[in-house]
Amino acid sequence: MNKKWMFLCLLVIASPIGALFFGAADFSSTQLVQCITQGCQDPVNSMIFWEIRAPRVFVGFLVGAGLAVAGATLQNITRNGLADPYLFGVVSGAGLGASIATLLFDSKVAEQIGLLEMFPNLSFSLALPFAAFLGALFSVFLVQILASKTFGSKTEHMLLAGIAVSFMLSALSHFLLFLGEPFAANKVIFWLMGSLARVESWYAWVMLPVVVVSVAILLLYGRHMDALLIGDENAKTLGVQVTRLRILSLAICAALTACIVSYCGGIGFVGLMIPHIVRTWLGVTSRIVTLGCVLLGGCFMVWVDVLARVALPNQEIPIGIITSAIGSVFFLIVMSQRRS
Amino acid sequence: MSSTCSLIATNVSLKIGQQQILSDVCLNLGAGKVMGVLGPNGAGKTSLLKMLSGQLASHHSVSWNNKTLTDYDPMSLAKQISVVNQLNESVFALDLYQIVRMGLLPHKSLLSRQTPHDDKSISDAIFRVGLENKVKQSFNSLSGGEQQRGLIARALVQKAALIILDEPVNHLDIYYQHQVLKLLRSLAHKLNITVVMSLHDLNLAANYCDHLCLLDAGKMVAQGSPEQVLTSQRLQQVFKIPCQIRHEVNNAAFRVDFYPPDEVETDIMSAAKGCDT
Repeated sequence: MNKKWMFLCLLVIASPIGALFFGAADFSSTQLVQCITQGCQDPVNSMIFWEIRAPRVFVGFLVGAGLAVAGATLQNITRNGLADPYLFGVVSGAGLGASIATLLFDSKVAEQIGLLEMFPNLSFSLALPFAAFLGALFSVFLVQILASKTFGSKTEHMLLAGIAVSFMLSALSHFLLFLGEPFAANKVIFWLMGSLARVESWYAWVMLPVVVVSVAILLLYGRHMDALLIGDENAKTLGVQVTRLRILSLAICAALTACIVSYCGGIGFVGLMIPHIVRTWLGVTSRIVTLGCVLLGGCFMVWVDVLARVALPNQEIPIGIITSAIGSVFFLIVMSQRRS
Repeated sequence: MSSTCSLIATNVSLKIGQQQILSDVCLNLGAGKVMGVLGPNGAGKTSLLKMLSGQLASHHSVSWNNKTLTDYDPMSLAKQISVVNQLNESVFALDLYQIVRMGLLPHKSLLSRQTPHDDKSISDAIFRVGLENKVKQSFNSLSGGEQQRGLIARALVQKAALIILDEPVNHLDIYYQHQVLKLLRSLAHKLNITVVMSLHDLNLAANYCDHLCLLDAGKMVAQGSPEQVLTSQRLQQVFKIPCQIRHEVNNAAFRVDFYPPDEVETDIMSAAKGCDT
């Protein structure tokens, strides 16, 4: 194992442990070690540590890994370094789902259509991510249908279809929010900024299999994904079933992004920035990029979440604001370096 | 690579929309031979190569090794036929080794690892095409000739008995044109690999190919040895330009000279004058 990978592995071990020290409640290092090894003595500390802080760090790692892997995979299959999960309308779709859920849970509307009677036990905190998940899947499905049936199967057509769907769904959700109450609009806009503050421990168990299975499939098909980098025709002559591989990869990206966005909101730039760093630092072949994105993307998100928690006293900055700020500065630096 | 492998096309036809691209093309090529596909632009050369490599549906009319191409699954076909298409730049900076290594793909299952034997076959192929000093260099930064040789090395790693190349010397200078064609001929004759390629330069085709087929408007005009195919009357008919055939040094080298008609020359001169003013 070379030095770069060793450094990355050390970072993966150190980052989640380091991140456990940060949060609203103060834990001494002795208390933290005790909580991890023997269990916390204080039941309140135990609840904070095992129900809030540890799941948040764990989910943060999975979210970063998932977004980075989805970005790298989309860039690979479209052969476009600027492809991003959000370009396929996933966030707009999730936003539309969230807007519909918010509007429906507005008491008057819900009462009028009898929703509260139908689902008396359905809570808004569950309905919103579920609706967002459906919206995200719907947008990916729509992009696929448009790209294959209407525009043709070329990758640039897929990107164009993604942009069109993205704007169309955004317009729809803005219209719904315009019709709804201003308070509901605020809720959706804040949700779209992205945050890990709502994370609960059960969600880690939803995310974990999605990320693990996705990464495993992408690693298995690593050689096939590499062949796509030299063009569809060349890949076909090497025996790769290009359409099948592209659909599989898109399904993986859709599942990863929809799971993340529906629960954590819009977290931009991770899927663009991390694969770019990994390719420059570690290499460009698919297996290296996928593994590098899991490790670096996970660590990046863990520390961004720490920053979101500690940057302002007694309040959290939405995580999407921080990733977008870092991402835009990062790309400006990369551009200026290339020019020089 | 069996010496009995032969490429047989029977009445290959292709129609796209209302346009007939290929009509009833037949050919039979034995192992270890180099075949050049010739013809003017739009004659159907690339389409024929795609049919011969199984990239376009051929309605059971093309067979390799006594088996129609449609009977091969994609991976088995890739083990038999290697295709070197016109160059595509990779967006991400893959190096020469990574490109050549892709030739292993048809021989590997999803779970299998790269063995020392695979490493050796990659370095042997790179050595054979003379690029051992460029192994870690980015593929995009190689010259056109080096890229073409790199893709041929990938075809060697693929261990296919038939290599199909679409205009392999396009955009190459005269030195690399001869180098690439010499390499292909030596691979065919030494390793018994069958090589099929489309070419525009009739002189290169005449001097490096064992067998030629001349296409015009999707139809096979002639096929056979260069001496049989390249006659001045036939070339004049296909390329619509007068030409003369010369045999140099005891018929060992072949030379086709085209003479542009006067009216073409006059048009070019008047266009050039127009540019000056």
